[in-house]
Amino acid sequence: MSTRARRILGRVGNSFLVLVFATFAVSMLMRLLPVDLAAVLLPTAGEAERDALRAEIGLDKNPFAYYVSWLWDFVRGDFGNIYFSGGVESVGSRLASAVPRSLLLMLYAQIIALAVSIPLGMWSGYRAGRRADRVISTTLFSFSAIPSFAVGLALIVVIGVRFQWLPTLGYEPVSAGLWAHLSYMIMPALSLSLGLIATYTRLLRADVVATLREDYVTMAASKGLSNTRILWRHVFRPSSLTLFTSAALNMGALIGGAIVVEAVFATYGLGFEVYTALQGRQFIALQSYVAVIAIFYVLFNLIIDEAAGFVDPRTRNRRANG
Amino acid sequence: MAERSGRRIAERLSYGWLGLVVALAVVGPWLPFDAWNTVYDDALAVGPLSGRHILGTDSNGYDLLLGVVNGARLSILVAVVAVGLGGFIGSALGIIAAYARGRTDTVITTFFNVILSVPNLVLALALVAVFATNIDVSDAVPTWRRVLVLILSLTVVIIPILGRIARAAAMSWTGREFVLAAQTMGMRARNIIWAHIVPNVMPALIAVGFLAVGVVIIAEASLSILGVGVPDGASWGAMISRGRNEIDYAPHVVLVPLFFLATTVICTNHVGDILRARLDKRQARI
Repeated sequence: MSTRARRILGRVGNSFLVLVFATFAVSMLMRLLPVDLAAVLLPTAGEAERDALRAEIGLDKNPFAYYVSWLWDFVRGDFGNIYFSGGVESVGSRLASAVPRSLLLMLYAQIIALAVSIPLGMWSGYRAGRRADRVISTTLFSFSAIPSFAVGLALIVVIGVRFQWLPTLGYEPVSAGLWAHLSYMIMPALSLSLGLIATYTRLLRADVVATLREDYVTMAASKGLSNTRILWRHVFRPSSLTLFTSAALNMGALIGGAIVVEAVFATYGLGFEVYTALQGRQFIALQSYVAVIAIFYVLFNLIIDEAAGFVDPRTRNRRANG
Repeated sequence: MAERSGRRIAERLSYGWLGLVVALAVVGPWLPFDAWNTVYDDALAVGPLSGRHILGTDSNGYDLLLGVVNGARLSILVAVVAVGLGGFIGSALGIIAAYARGRTDTVITTFFNVILSVPNLVLALALVAVFATNIDVSDAVPTWRRVLVLILSLTVVIIPILGRIARAAAMSWTGREFVLAAQTMGMRARNIIWAHIVPNVMPALIAVGFLAVGVVIIAEASLSILGVGVPDGASWGAMISRGRNEIDYAPHVVLVPLFFLATTVICTNHVGDILRARLDKRQARI
């Protein structure tokens, strides 16, 4: 086996171990609840029904057996149930509708962020040290500190309430019409993207500044190519790798911000499901949501990290040194 | 020249604002103001700069200036305690890992990675949801217990963040000649860590600590918006969460605490960034 394959295998194994520990810790949390879970989920039911529930989700077993039975169900796609006064709904069906919505929201946020930060980063890298660069850098630095829910609430106040241009609460699928869908997504996506814009612009600027010092750029300039052409044809591509890697890695980090933003805008995605599960004290659902988020997060980071190393071996060395 | 003075002004403004907020948080209760939950029924949901209410009131008749002054106390308390405690535990673990290497390092790093495998807000949310629960939904969980659970949950979130920084920073010092010299002279590990490692790791930790304070302030507000934070509008997050209900007719109720929160976080980030830049410069010289 090549060292490379062994290294990847090691990292996969390590991520797997981390996930097992993390999901076990979360399942221990369920056992540490200061309340009787069966009583919380079935407030009106009798003792017999509660006992049946305890047996069903394994609350009558010891913590390890509980975890194993939870894990076995989870692996087979049984994510538990949400309990109403009238009956149950499977968490799996909620996830099936919520996860794509959250992914869409993050995708839109990424598109907006890249569409804004690429021109800004190129411009401020090209004009490094000049006034335009300073203005862009300082303004964006302040923006990067503002939490996404604050941007969201400010947008609601201005665009939703004052001008009434866009709806402030809810979600429409694409099948209801593209504009209807987008009109609900623009504000949440914008609120998520503002912080990203700041980070991405900074990254791209730094790389553009470095690339502009390369000999082949001087060469291209001495051949008489126009500045625009040099910037986009010769500078952008080699400078953009860090940017795209970071954009991909941010997908995981976006999940946290997306939860609050989805709660603020009532976008019915994973974050909103977490919010409603919290409000309704649906701990079994919560356990599955946290596990799903952790798995997405860890695997995504792993895949992107390896993919970036594959595309540009330099990033591996850079990371090893830094 | 203009650039430098501009930067200096921004730096002073940041320190000034943070100083003001901390001062309000500390001496707030002794200021000659009415209690934050005094109801002014003659002025419901009035906008900022209206008579006696500089920042306006909400629809309950609570004065927003009194609200943010009072909220500063809890928001700052939660942030400072969580970062202090989490930073202490995290950096202790990180430094030990860096010094001991080997198996100890593997165990501690895995522990950090396990915590980091759940996005920090989701983790805090799960912890708060579990430990601040009562059997009866209608029974309110006492505020002190909620605050305690909140602080401890955010501490858990901070541990690996600062722990990793401490480990990375300590790694670059444990191999230095003066550490080796101390080891060969038979100095005990604990003393080496205190005398040679900690002082060198401290500046990096303080810089990142400022950034972490911003993270915690945002997390506290996020949890409030999700309905699991401090109840009764007693923190900035709780004020924002309550102000959301009035956003249609009294947007200033949500904008006032948002402004305080965003400005404070911008300032902590700015200060953290300045400290880090200075540190990099200093280390480049060494």
